[in-house]
Amino acid sequence: MALARVERLGFSYPDAGAEALSDVSLRIDPGEVIALLGPSGSGKSTLLRALAGLVPHFHGGRFEGRVEVTGRDTRRCRPAELAGAVSSLFQDPEDQVVFGRVLNEVAFGLENLGTLPTFIWPRAHSALAEAGIPHLAERRTETLSAGELQRVCLASVLALEPALLLLDEPTSQLDPAGAEALLDLACELGAAVVVSEQRPTLPLERCDRVLFIEGGRLLLDAPREQALRWLGGHRPEYLPREATTLPENGDAGQALCRLEGVTFGYGAEPILADASLSLRRGEVVALTGPNGVGKTTLAKIATGLLQPQAGRVQRLGRACYLSQDPGRYLVTEQAAEEVALAVDGDLERAHRALAEVGLAGFERRHPRDLSSGERERLALAAVLVADPEIVVLDEPTRGVDPPRKAELAELIRREAPRRATLVVTHDLVFAGDVADRRVTLGAREHARA
Amino acid sequence: MSPVPAAALLASLAAVALVADRAWIVAGIAAALLALCLRAPRSRRWLYLTGTLGSALSVFVLSPLVSHQGYHVIWEGPRIPVLGLLDVTSEELAAGGTQALRLAAVGLAFAAYALLLDLDRLLQAAGFARRSVLAAGLATRLVPTLERDAAGFVEALRGRGVEVGGIRGRARLLSPLLAGSLERSLNLAEAMEARGFGRPGRTRAPSLPWSKLDRLAIAAAPLLVLGALWL
Repeated sequence: MALARVERLGFSYPDAGAEALSDVSLRIDPGEVIALLGPSGSGKSTLLRALAGLVPHFHGGRFEGRVEVTGRDTRRCRPAELAGAVSSLFQDPEDQVVFGRVLNEVAFGLENLGTLPTFIWPRAHSALAEAGIPHLAERRTETLSAGELQRVCLASVLALEPALLLLDEPTSQLDPAGAEALLDLACELGAAVVVSEQRPTLPLERCDRVLFIEGGRLLLDAPREQALRWLGGHRPEYLPREATTLPENGDAGQALCRLEGVTFGYGAEPILADASLSLRRGEVVALTGPNGVGKTTLAKIATGLLQPQAGRVQRLGRACYLSQDPGRYLVTEQAAEEVALAVDGDLERAHRALAEVGLAGFERRHPRDLSSGERERLALAAVLVADPEIVVLDEPTRGVDPPRKAELAELIRREAPRRATLVVTHDLVFAGDVADRRVTLGAREHARA
Repeated sequence: MSPVPAAALLASLAAVALVADRAWIVAGIAAALLALCLRAPRSRRWLYLTGTLGSALSVFVLSPLVSHQGYHVIWEGPRIPVLGLLDVTSEELAAGGTQALRLAAVGLAFAAYALLLDLDRLLQAAGFARRSVLAAGLATRLVPTLERDAAGFVEALRGRGVEVGGIRGRARLLSPLLAGSLERSLNLAEAMEARGFGRPGRTRAPSLPWSKLDRLAIAAAPLLVLGALWL
């Protein structure tokens, strides 16, 4: 018997012109691991929300067809009633956390499901152990790194022992090792898992079946081997790829930014100790390393947003920094005004910068009305418009689909000869595509290049 | 101390500060609460303390100018339309000082609640009105989240070479901050529903038993308010 069944599902969000999902039919069997692929805005998250009952109950909108999970019609069952049988892990862990203490966060779902009080703490502790973070039980959630917080969210989900686990880009903030560990853990549970990812290599290595969705339509529903052949013929950018090996050293070009023996800490313990880095005109450098090792801190020091506690920083020319999740930090009411902020309101330059990132015609749109991908390109235009000599992009591919990553890589390469570019990323395949060399920051090691 | 007796004690101190007639009692409460708040980490407490003490100072400065009481004039200024003659009397200063102390005490009681209490344990202990307690707990956490988001906005703009300074520059951040917090709250509500929040038949994880000090604090809380009313 199928664990979940979707029959001719069509869905439109309230006030949306186009259908988010159209005529989608599929079944999910117990224990299956399914990779859900497709471009940004194609309907992947909507499909996951439909399986959790959040569509239509939480979002409203026009719903056609039928979704059944563990024999229950999701139109008749509220998401809270499906919780336990279905559990969801969303992209941004910060938006999922209710409590201040990790153990309470994990216990929250168990309390909601009516678990016997004497079983709640032992179950919460064992879920933390399963997620590999028993040592975080008493920590405050606001003191955790993004990677740790995502594992806490996973433990909260594991505690409920769901039959169907829905993962919506769960590894977007994790380093490769952390992402691999999280997906391994999810796939070993024995539950059916549907995982949506924009770094398709890991889910494609672990899945039994692949769904490919585009424009709200399910284009592919096939076992893994057959799906790999289809992807090779139709959407090759989604195929698993080995990252290109990059050199660590480079010596061509004028050094525009030089960090020597830089030390920095947010508390008593330094996060960076004696780190050095040099960025030269015309080169793109990828800065990689595990979560929490100080990549963002080093990037901020390179652009002058943070001052080192020891060491020297030299910059020649203007430095700009594109923060992680830049779409969250847009402040004006029109795209062109947002871009013009960095050039004293020069709208002509803003229009040119928007055109360069493929947003011509979007000048008067409100930034919050744009899709997440469009917001990111807008934020990139807002940085490049000032024509800085040094550009630092912090995780620019987070939540970006493979075709748009290729476009972004092309844009960065096109702009590279005019400046020095540093790309902080966990996406080693992207790093291989875009960078001339790679600097790896390891725990308590120096970045030397 | 357990969070429920501590919250009760803080609420009773705030109530006493509001109803007490004598300024020295209010001043004592404000001073004690300020000392308590100074135990919180510096990075977290500054927002609460500057907000509370700044508001109290504003009350102290402005209320003598807009109120009209007393005969012992200390300063006389121009006549302003609507407000009338601007003057400051010693009685207005005393009344303004007391009101400022009341505001400071109430604000500091809230600051101590937000900064020092384990809101999770407070929520766990709530045997009734759990939804309201959860809403209050999440609202309390909104302050540091907004603070982090505001810092994110400033940093994102500085990263583009745009300095954020002055009242106008910071005011520009209010609307996107509000929009961002609405987005966050919707995401959180969705995640909570997906984890079964609102389903009937919920249970509660066992919480730690109260100590003698906790029982004493619970008993003292109403007595403090009654004492203030009697005095």
